[in-house]
Amino acid sequence: MAHFAVTAIGADRPGIVAALTGALHDAGGNLEDVSSTILRGHFATMLVVDAPGDADGIRTALENAAGPLGVQVHVADVEAGAPERPRATHALTAYGSDRPGIVSGLTGLLAERGVNITDLSCRRTGGGEPIYVMVAELALPDGLDVGALEAGIREVAAGVGVDVSFGPVEVETL
Amino acid sequence: MAVRPVLRYPHPVLKRPAEPAGEISDAHRALIEDLVDTMRAGPATVGLAAPQIGESVRAFVLDVSGHPRGEGAHGLVALFDPEVVEADDPDVLREGCLSVPDLTANVRRPRRVVVRGIDVDGSPREYEMHGFEARALLHEVDHLDGMLILDRVTTGSDLFPRRVYR
Repeated sequence: MAHFAVTAIGADRPGIVAALTGALHDAGGNLEDVSSTILRGHFATMLVVDAPGDADGIRTALENAAGPLGVQVHVADVEAGAPERPRATHALTAYGSDRPGIVSGLTGLLAERGVNITDLSCRRTGGGEPIYVMVAELALPDGLDVGALEAGIREVAAGVGVDVSFGPVEVETL
Repeated sequence: MAVRPVLRYPHPVLKRPAEPAGEISDAHRALIEDLVDTMRAGPATVGLAAPQIGESVRAFVLDVSGHPRGEGAHGLVALFDPEVVEADDPDVLREGCLSVPDLTANVRRPRRVVVRGIDVDGSPREYEMHGFEARALLHEVDHLDGMLILDRVTTGSDLFPRRVYR
């Protein structure tokens, strides 16, 4: 068995997941993590799958199944046993009037400080004055000066004209 | 008495901590009347804070008694300078806001609160609130601190578009 990362995107409609996962099942594959969402009308999915054969064979099977639904497929060989997903320690929400540079400005700072983004969602609302909202879960490196990071975030946010909320993720074990 | 326009983010007054009301005056009472009129005019609106109509004063109104989740509520509540003195038993529910009309968010808030404040006659009042009424109260108090539902979201999966965009 080999390990593959599959990404697929197409105009949203019912049946895309069934077509992709049906083809993977028929190819003898076993799904691992899957994440999917609709991005402004486009259904986007990412799957990590264990399957026999090579990336070209998997791609052909997926294209035959989902191509007729208008879905574009990408398949990559990936290493099994990649590093564990780092635990998110903090959450960052930024929002403001939509303009270019909000996400790149904030994530550029995070990258500079060695902060790992473990989850990221952004939305632009409709209407006459669209609002842009970015919500990121962050894994901070050990020993990072959190106060200095927050000051940096607020400085970048002021520069791009967004409001921010930043704080630790609270996990309650029940 | 007037229905006033409800301000939407990014109007800056919504992000500014509101000023204490202090001594209650006729102007304060008129503000409460406008808040009630504007709340009653809104679609399924159960509460409104003064900054939402452009007045940076620590005042709000709420009335969840007509809401399906409003059983056991106090009816119309209008308070100045509210202070939440007890809050416990958290729960998550989807909230919307007239000032952030295109998004809704899953927000975690206590299910029980005790709040103290000043009523329109200038007398101290204390309420114990439960469930949906407690949530509405905390949402309004957030407005007085310049906080929106977007500040209460910690993961993208807790944020939802209110309309479908095509």
